[in-house]
Amino acid sequence: MRRKRGQVGGSGTSRVIPGGTPAVIASAILIMALMFTGCGEKEPATNAVKVGYLRSDLHQLAYYVAGEKGFFTEEGLDVKEGGVFNAGPEEMSAFSAGELDMGYVGTAPAVTFAAQEMVDILIVAQINAGGSSIIVRSGLEAGDVSALKGRTVAVPGHSTVQDFLFRLALTEAVLGEDEVNIITLKPPEMIGALASGQIDAFVAWEPYPQMAVAQNVGWVLENSSEIWPHHPCCVLVVDRGFAERNPDTVRRFVAAHVKATEYINENPLESADMGHLFTGQDSEAVEAAMKNIEFVHELNVKGLQRYVEFLMEIGVVKVESAKSFCDTLIDQQFLPREN
Amino acid sequence: MRKWKCCSFILALGLWQLLAMAGALGRTPSPVDVVKGLYDLIVTGLPPGYYLQWHLLASLERVLIGFALAVVLAVPLGILMGSSTVFDAVLDPLVEVVRPIPPLAWLPLAVIWFGIGLFSAAFMIFLGAFFPILLNTITGVKSVDPCLVEAARTLGARRQTIILRVLTPGAMPSIVTGLRIGIGIGWMTLVAAEMTGVRSGYGLGYMILTARDVARYDLVVAGMVVIGTVGFLMDRMVKYAEKRLLRWM
Repeated sequence: MRRKRGQVGGSGTSRVIPGGTPAVIASAILIMALMFTGCGEKEPATNAVKVGYLRSDLHQLAYYVAGEKGFFTEEGLDVKEGGVFNAGPEEMSAFSAGELDMGYVGTAPAVTFAAQEMVDILIVAQINAGGSSIIVRSGLEAGDVSALKGRTVAVPGHSTVQDFLFRLALTEAVLGEDEVNIITLKPPEMIGALASGQIDAFVAWEPYPQMAVAQNVGWVLENSSEIWPHHPCCVLVVDRGFAERNPDTVRRFVAAHVKATEYINENPLESADMGHLFTGQDSEAVEAAMKNIEFVHELNVKGLQRYVEFLMEIGVVKVESAKSFCDTLIDQQFLPREN
Repeated sequence: MRKWKCCSFILALGLWQLLAMAGALGRTPSPVDVVKGLYDLIVTGLPPGYYLQWHLLASLERVLIGFALAVVLAVPLGILMGSSTVFDAVLDPLVEVVRPIPPLAWLPLAVIWFGIGLFSAAFMIFLGAFFPILLNTITGVKSVDPCLVEAARTLGARRQTIILRVLTPGAMPSIVTGLRIGIGIGWMTLVAAEMTGVRSGYGLGYMILTARDVARYDLVVAGMVVIGTVGFLMDRMVKYAEKRLLRWM
């Protein structure tokens, strides 16, 4: 039990001042507080899983494939769509509110929200590695990242994996962070902003880079795997309480995820078609984008640790040590054991 | 009465702090967290190096441009529509159709027209502020006592003189009410408008979104407190200006 219950009703402060606005405010706060505390009863073990994922994020294709190919059903799971989100932080807020059991989400929101104790989750499998690119506006000549000096570059969010990748690329190009104007834009806005010359480059996950290429508004300056080979990207997370109550369900879910990941790697053409249905983007862009993504389920623990160290360096996350924090956050016991 | 207003404020804050300390508010930050967050925003900035004061200035600039544009266009148009039945009949249907569209619905268009940043945000403020000012101006002009207009006409005043010397001053109180509502709605619109991204990297709405992205909910609430306080101060300023300028009423 993390929260103490039963203290709320006892405060009775609304009686202190008779009538008028103060009493109204006080009672409103009391009612809200009671609403916050009223949930969280213990549930029996279940096969039903409420899953969240990101809209049009090609990294998370395994979720769609597992559903379409019936891998979840094969494992006897009743997978319910808990929510489709435009951004990872929104999905983590839904975890915080207890709306989701498991989720396909970016490493950045998962780690940051866990470190701030906004969510209590476990990372149980990798979803992909690589899969982002630096895209430069068409018509802008650039040999390498150093050509972006003095330019405006959009990243999907401060402290995201893409932000980190771009800072790594800057270091490699011997450019200071203040020599480039880094701003935050959500990926759906990036292509329009690039087309209208509002920004000179962006760093985003697939399929946005390849969409920009297909629409002739930008070109690939560097793929993220060239900046940091096999860097961790999206991860599969589970609510810690849910995993404790339903370890078997989580194990079966991970098994279905592994099957789907293998299926994608073994059937690239068919998977590209499914990627087209999943993201709504044309097959050509999806095919090109998929070549830039490594679909893997084994966790890149060292990479995750390196990323947490970066978050500590820039002051976003305050934990004792990246290693011990990752040890409590990452749980590999649900992954299938190799025989 | 003043004493009581302060009292409710302090009581609400105290209660909020107590409930947060008792763990009853879950992950909602407490007032003390929020004050610490404000300090962080001023000293460290979010993202680091992007200080609160510059976020605030960027937002104020957008609001003032959008609001000024709304005043310049809505007041004359309102006086025309209020004083001329023909103008009113022609423009009223258009106004009534465009008015209910929330400024946020214009956002995608604003971005392709004006890009991200200053002018698209100013355009959204303009949309938010324009209609309250326009409608209040029309109402103000229409509610001027017809006897005054007749009297002026009897004394030989021309139409132009009546509009400038009788209708406009008479509508002033209502126009100022429109300005107060307009700047309030404009300020509310701004924060949402900035949430899609800004070019300069500054703005209060943008700052709140960044705080959410890095799971710093104390900074989210600190940003809300700043927005509320500035909105309150702007309202007070218009009210003060009204008192000073309309002393003759």
